[in-house]
Amino acid sequence: MITEKELERLAILARIKLSEGDKKSLVKEFDSILGYIDQLKKVEVSLDASARVGSVKNVTRPDVVENTSREDRERLLNEAPDRQGDFIAVKKILNNT
Amino acid sequence: MKIDLKSLTIKKASDHLKKGDFSAVELTQAYHDEITKKNKDINAYLEVFDDALDAAKQADEKIADARKTRKEISPLAGIPCGVKDNILIKGKIASAASKILENYHATYDATVIKKLAANGAVFLGRTNMDEFAMGGSTENSAFGVTKNPYDLGRVAGGSSGGSAAAVAMDGALFALGSDTGGSIRQPASFCGVVGLKPTYGAVSRYGVMAMGSSLDQIGPIAKTASDAEIVFNAIKGNDLKDGTMIKDNTYTKKRIGKNKPVIGVPRHFLAGDGIDHEVLKAFNEAVDLFKAKGYEMKEIKLPNISYALMVYYIIMPAEVSSNLARFDGVKYGLRKNGKDGIDDYFETRRVGFGREVIRRILLGTYVLSSGYYDAYYNRANAVRRMITGDFLKAFESVDAIAMPTAPSPAFKIGEKASDPVAMYLEDIFTVTANLTGLPAISIPCGFAENSGKKLPVGLQLTARHGDESTLFETGKDFLGES
Repeated sequence: MITEKELERLAILARIKLSEGDKKSLVKEFDSILGYIDQLKKVEVSLDASARVGSVKNVTRPDVVENTSREDRERLLNEAPDRQGDFIAVKKILNNT
Repeated sequence: MKIDLKSLTIKKASDHLKKGDFSAVELTQAYHDEITKKNKDINAYLEVFDDALDAAKQADEKIADARKTRKEISPLAGIPCGVKDNILIKGKIASAASKILENYHATYDATVIKKLAANGAVFLGRTNMDEFAMGGSTENSAFGVTKNPYDLGRVAGGSSGGSAAAVAMDGALFALGSDTGGSIRQPASFCGVVGLKPTYGAVSRYGVMAMGSSLDQIGPIAKTASDAEIVFNAIKGNDLKDGTMIKDNTYTKKRIGKNKPVIGVPRHFLAGDGIDHEVLKAFNEAVDLFKAKGYEMKEIKLPNISYALMVYYIIMPAEVSSNLARFDGVKYGLRKNGKDGIDDYFETRRVGFGREVIRRILLGTYVLSSGYYDAYYNRANAVRRMITGDFLKAFESVDAIAMPTAPSPAFKIGEKASDPVAMYLEDIFTVTANLTGLPAISIPCGFAENSGKKLPVGLQLTARHGDESTLFETGKDFLGES
């Protein structure tokens, strides 16, 4: 039902590297899962996009900064895998040329 | 006095603490000793906090203060508890049992943690779980399976398996879990304890790692329905940091039964061969007990309920794939080196995530991708609304709905590990409460005999939105709690 090629595309979209072995077992597992959830296609439904759980409404709050303590900022920055001063360091994205 | 952990409940412990029969420090020490003794076999806790005794000392001061000033004090003051590893406690590791967050320290307190701390509860440690709460057995933990205290060859259930096992092994008086499709109720059922999934929006989700944002709720696992109620009352309520909270008047209260709630049973859904006959036997005995206690039991129809699990396994992975996009190795957690910036993501996520998590992210990516969106995600949302409608209609003639919590008692470690659909079928009775946002509780209702061992069976009760009180009332009555 799903090919290895399709699976590769999904993995690129999801930013996950897959080994050849992963792909083989995932194709099999996808077949069994999709075979199960495909039964839903039999249900008569009217498709309308406004899904809501119970009577929950969105509650908003003013967009104001509440916490500016140095200590909390340090805490957040310290969790970064690579920190340079007050910045989180990542690899260069643009080429020099 | 000597502390007997086996028979202790929050209610009893709180009375003893207030009377001064023992101190919170002594109580915490007793739990520490019990955990040291049992955790190496059961693996309910991933970490035991070394500052629990400090918190207990503070609780003792609070209790002494209240005694002096004759003020009321929270029943949770000095009560030791476990916290699922996906709920943030400032400064502590919160790994969601994943390698990608193995060394991540929470930078703030979840709202539930703030509330419990304000009540004087003592955090003993963080409990094991399926990675990012994905699974029904705790076998998907990156740090080893949690074993069932009733039979070490079997799973404790999941994903909050560590929390349920911690309470069942007398390693805590209660524990927090999270429930996206049954992750509080199913392990509670497997371990013979009580577990509550509150109404969607009743408890703030701020500070619990998001899995399926339209499904997730935090809730208590405890020994009794009364204890679950005490914890629920402490953690529920308004929080501006969760935009989906309900208010006291969001849902109107209603009651059909004059004396006791009327309980509906969807017999048509229990007729299949996927349900263990010992579970069905225990369930039928529970129905008889309700009748004997004077409850009116009514047969009801939930016409679309057989689609619930399929709907769940579309919506949940869709939300998972979006929520777990944040784990990219940039801001926090694991980073693995690739050949360039974008390759860092691919490497980090391959190494950091376990098999089930990767499976669900890819499945979610699939059902949301162009060309499949209408066939899967939109259709699932439409059927989700139909199922919710079925339940609301049923609640026009009943006050609660009874079902087994899980189709089987605790299964053997490894038994379902190679077949994802068999594992997913574990959630067949529990996912509806998450899809509909309704509150549901699992309470122990007997045992299944299996190769000479007695394994607990759980009964699930579902009530109207915002009506946890019917669940507690009925649960307490069923369990004979005063």
